[in-house]
Amino acid sequence: MLLPKFDYHQPRDVAEACRLLAELGPAARVIAGGTDLLVNLKHGRLRPKALVGLERLQELTGLETGRGRLFIGARNTAAHLAASRSLGGGLKFLAQAAGCLGSPQVRNRATIGGNLCTARPAADLPPALLCLGARLLLDGHQGSREVALSQFFQGPGLTTLAPAEVLRGVVVPRPGPGCGGGYIKLGLRRAMEISLVNVAAYLELAADGRRIAQAQVALGAVAPTPILSPRAAKALMGQTAGDKTFAAAAEAAAKDARPIDDHRGSAAYRREMVRVLTRRALQQAWEQARGGRGGKK
Amino acid sequence: MAAKYDVLGSRAPRLDAPDKATGRARFADDLNLPGQLYGALLQSPHAHALIKRIDASRAKRLKGVKAVLTGQDLPNILYGVSPARYDEEVLARDKVRHVGDDVAAVAAVDLETALEALSLIEVEYEPLPAVLSVEQALAEDAPIIHELFPNNLCAEVHQEFGDVAAAFAKCDLIRGGRMVNKMQDGAFLEPNACIAEFDQRGNLTLYSSTQSVHYVQRTVAMVLGLNMSQVRVVKPYVGGGFGPKAAATPLELNACFLAQRTGRPVKMGYTREQVFLFSRARHQFFHEMKIGVAKDGTMLALEHRCTLDGGAYSSFGIATVYYAGSLLGGPYKLPNMKYDGYRVFTNKPACGAQRGHGGVIARALFEQQLDLIARELGMDPIALRLKNIMQAGDVTCNDLNMSSLGMRECLEAVQGGSGWSGKRGRLSRGRGIGMASGFFVSGAGYPIYRSDTYHATVTVKVQEDGGGVKVLTGAAEIGQGSDTTMAMIAAETLGIPLSDVRVESGDTDLGIDLGAYSSRTTLMTGHATKEAAEDAREQILQALAEELGVVRGRLSVKRGRVKIAGKPVDIGPLRARYLKEHRGWTDQPTGKELSFREAARVAYLRRGTIVGTGKYKPPVLGGKYKGAAVGTSPAYGCSAQVAEVSVDLETGQVFVENITDAHDCGQAINRTSVEAQMEGSVSMGLGEALFEEVKFDANGRVLNPSLGEYHIPTIMDMPQMKCIVVESNEPNGPYGAKEVGEGAIMPTIPAILNAVYDATGAVIDELPLTPERVLAAIKKASQNKKGGRRKG
Amino acid sequence: MSSHQINLIVNGVAHEVLVPANRTLAQLLREDLGLTGTKQGCGEGDCGSCTVLLDGEPVNSCLVLALQAHGHKVLTIEGLSQGRELHPIQQAFVEQGAVQCGFCTPGMILSAKALLDKTKRPSQEQIRKALSGNLCRCTGYQKIVEAVSEASRRLSRERS
Repeated sequence: MLLPKFDYHQPRDVAEACRLLAELGPAARVIAGGTDLLVNLKHGRLRPKALVGLERLQELTGLETGRGRLFIGARNTAAHLAASRSLGGGLKFLAQAAGCLGSPQVRNRATIGGNLCTARPAADLPPALLCLGARLLLDGHQGSREVALSQFFQGPGLTTLAPAEVLRGVVVPRPGPGCGGGYIKLGLRRAMEISLVNVAAYLELAADGRRIAQAQVALGAVAPTPILSPRAAKALMGQTAGDKTFAAAAEAAAKDARPIDDHRGSAAYRREMVRVLTRRALQQAWEQARGGRGGKK
Repeated sequence: MAAKYDVLGSRAPRLDAPDKATGRARFADDLNLPGQLYGALLQSPHAHALIKRIDASRAKRLKGVKAVLTGQDLPNILYGVSPARYDEEVLARDKVRHVGDDVAAVAAVDLETALEALSLIEVEYEPLPAVLSVEQALAEDAPIIHELFPNNLCAEVHQEFGDVAAAFAKCDLIRGGRMVNKMQDGAFLEPNACIAEFDQRGNLTLYSSTQSVHYVQRTVAMVLGLNMSQVRVVKPYVGGGFGPKAAATPLELNACFLAQRTGRPVKMGYTREQVFLFSRARHQFFHEMKIGVAKDGTMLALEHRCTLDGGAYSSFGIATVYYAGSLLGGPYKLPNMKYDGYRVFTNKPACGAQRGHGGVIARALFEQQLDLIARELGMDPIALRLKNIMQAGDVTCNDLNMSSLGMRECLEAVQGGSGWSGKRGRLSRGRGIGMASGFFVSGAGYPIYRSDTYHATVTVKVQEDGGGVKVLTGAAEIGQGSDTTMAMIAAETLGIPLSDVRVESGDTDLGIDLGAYSSRTTLMTGHATKEAAEDAREQILQALAEELGVVRGRLSVKRGRVKIAGKPVDIGPLRARYLKEHRGWTDQPTGKELSFREAARVAYLRRGTIVGTGKYKPPVLGGKYKGAAVGTSPAYGCSAQVAEVSVDLETGQVFVENITDAHDCGQAINRTSVEAQMEGSVSMGLGEALFEEVKFDANGRVLNPSLGEYHIPTIMDMPQMKCIVVESNEPNGPYGAKEVGEGAIMPTIPAILNAVYDATGAVIDELPLTPERVLAAIKKASQNKKGGRRKG
Repeated sequence: MSSHQINLIVNGVAHEVLVPANRTLAQLLREDLGLTGTKQGCGEGDCGSCTVLLDGEPVNSCLVLALQAHGHKVLTIEGLSQGRELHPIQQAFVEQGAVQCGFCTPGMILSAKALLDKTKRPSQEQIRKALSGNLCRCTGYQKIVEAVSEASRRLSRERS
């Protein structure tokens, strides 16, 4: 399998990258890990005239904590996130999701930026990041802006990223004690899978360790983009954590899912799996949240 | 007690493993010849269409393009696998029959140019309605795929052994069921590749990733109009085959034509997607069976009907449709059996042979039904099988002779090895244990074309220095370990260490060998190797006897030393002569006994190069009925497996937790390789049971032509396996050896199905066991049983 | 199309090469450097046959541009053994029967190398996870897991 011909540019900083992208126009594509882009190029699904490589952009690196926030540079690989000690506690489910992406070889190349900008409905990282209320830092030709991840995805392969913009990184709040997350991916095999359905859940327990103070559930592969389930969040907020609440939230999440039939699975099965996985992801999140408060099972 | 053999039955490391582990081993795509061109194929985007016009003029004008071929440029000749069903064109002339059918071929200075040239070829198609299912193919007004077969029926089989109707009348319990699988892909890791080169005298050498250099040589010669002697096919290391690489491909034929046209070597390879479009892997089978037993569990009758979706060409399919019926003749005593089989053409890539050829899905349904029968009779599934198994010497109703059969040993081994009695019926809901048996041919009794040819000829050449021997064979080492097997047989026969044997294989110049399919190599090539080694040994010992002035009968060789029976013989003069020849050498023979090296050297000095030859052809075997040739074999391997699964009752996911596998391979030549075949078979069976399915869209395009979306098991999906090697003594095998390569897959799918039933109460009649399908079956089973749960 | 002058170290040897932008690392290794031990099973990152270590980490060389390897160290299967002496992982693969057709073997061994460089005595589960991007159709993986386990024992003995 051959790659088509293209020019390759290696800007030294974000400003140069944005300038280049502006100059080259829509015929250029950004490349970071390349695990998705190069496959598309080989299959002729994309035919860019030029690639703009991000490997020299130092602004896109780093995994830094500050003022209750965590900055994750767009060039962080999935492998790095999966192994990172910065992603502990209530962020652990993000590391867990990163560890489910592709294969070890793919995780060593695939970046968080790529996983978001390719906007695959079944991508592994978006659900956890959606739960966390992640915000994206976008650098453009004319300046920078910040956008909520929930506003970023527009459809399969489509985002609000402007043609001459580069995703610098992702910012998530650092969860305190009493927070927990869960991530479950359903596929055929136990490795190298594209999710049939994936679900992330996030809970923040009140000081009593029982009442749910904050909650989010996010779903993948059941809509044109990864989505949050507002109904599930509503069903959880203020309720006492436990099987009954989670079952209700799972029902609610299934209502928010908008799956389709395709060769990987039927819409009905996917919707049903949203119910099962949501319940289980919430259970995971709860166990972790209680653990964080020093509570016992 | 001294071991029976010095070399056989050991765990000797494979001869090829060090080269493979260091990246030295060369596969077809690793080869490059000076001045080579790169070939590429233009393939049909339509499942069924007439070719109205092809304009290749722009492609021909592209700089760097050396040849462009279309069907009109080639001899008008049909080829295929079974001569009675030659139905393939190297390049389609008037009509394409599946997405991926080959339409034009290009050779250019590099692959980029070749691919660009393809994009410049204009083909005008007139799309025809596509036939994409068996139902569509058999419909009254179905479009016709091959003019020669107006009903789209590639082959049909009607067999009855015994009196099935009368037997059913006597049965106490009759059960019926159905099973359908999906079209498979071989999913070998190495995509097919080849290089063809002509010399100035018109002789062709083709290096190709193939399972059978002989069949490829024969087809290439026939299609190109050459003598077979002008065609040499060489097989480098091959990255797996499993069936689909067992016959000539359009890739190989086009490379040969392009090399002929350009006068330069032409290298070609399939992309992974093209591997899927060429296919030739497991068919989709629609089986229906009715099985009748007496109330004590004695099997009395089987009525069986099967329709196969064959895809666009016959390939190995005639054999497949026969095997699908005949392989149920054993390993149980089944006196009455009726089979109706139909192989149907559709506009999909052609199906062919894959590990367990024809028998795998039939076995899955049959063994599933046996479990259900056992349950209805209140019998343990193993007990039911033990009651019905054949023994060595039994002959099936369709005349297959079980010359050795360790079926009882296999069943008892897995029963004990899995802890069956402690688990069966005692696992919690969602966990299950199941078992199944199976058997398979140890080499097809007849070649794929009608001929009295030997199935294998082997030469053992003793190196003139006496230091070792070379086994020369056309047999195909494709990963299964046949080179090592032949080396071990030669070493044992000659009485020398394995390290003194080298193997040259996979080259038509080295002899006739039908190739690596039907689990034939150990038995057939093994026989020929043994005979060739015996021949060489006799020549050496005869020469030595003459030299020493003793009778031949007093001499033998063991572990590289010559043993002389009876009173001592003076070896001094002979040794002195050898030492004199090797002044200055550091590894001179010592000790009181002559070494094999000295003996072999003496033999050379007396007689010239010592060359032993061996050959093998099965004796006349089997019945006289139509189709008796398929399923007939000089020997049969058999196996039993126990699978333990856990099923997620909410998602339908099936996890195979443990496999216990026993296989009777006769005398194990290499114990590690036997286990390796068993473990590999289980993984292929597990993949078919749980994941594997080539999917098509409404236009006949493959939806998942990649190893990302066609799921074979990863290392995370494979359970711990306990492999138990059962060794019967096969009278028709070399040193009592027989097959393990394919029979070992037979029980895997039904053992998993039966374990899933044990775990959930769901009888599933469609493969693969996707979570969605399993969940639906669990729900259906719960509804049917309402409240009457088998397990708490 | 642009071409790029790159410097990289392959199996300990520095190379300076001019590559077109669209050349993959796998092509560079196989076709330009003649290191055909790196296999191509799919070209799309699904099989792991083309696995090499890039700065010690396994990657699919079919999905890395050659120019992206600029300034990095690449280890291929050819760089693992010293002359005729096999690396302990290779030795274990040979002795445990973990090699059949051999097409996945170089990638498998390199993934195992990356694991054992970091984890001295991995559990079965860790071994399986580390090799989960390398498909094998022949072995059912059992002897591969056993070989990696055995190699870890040998390497630990060698170190002590």
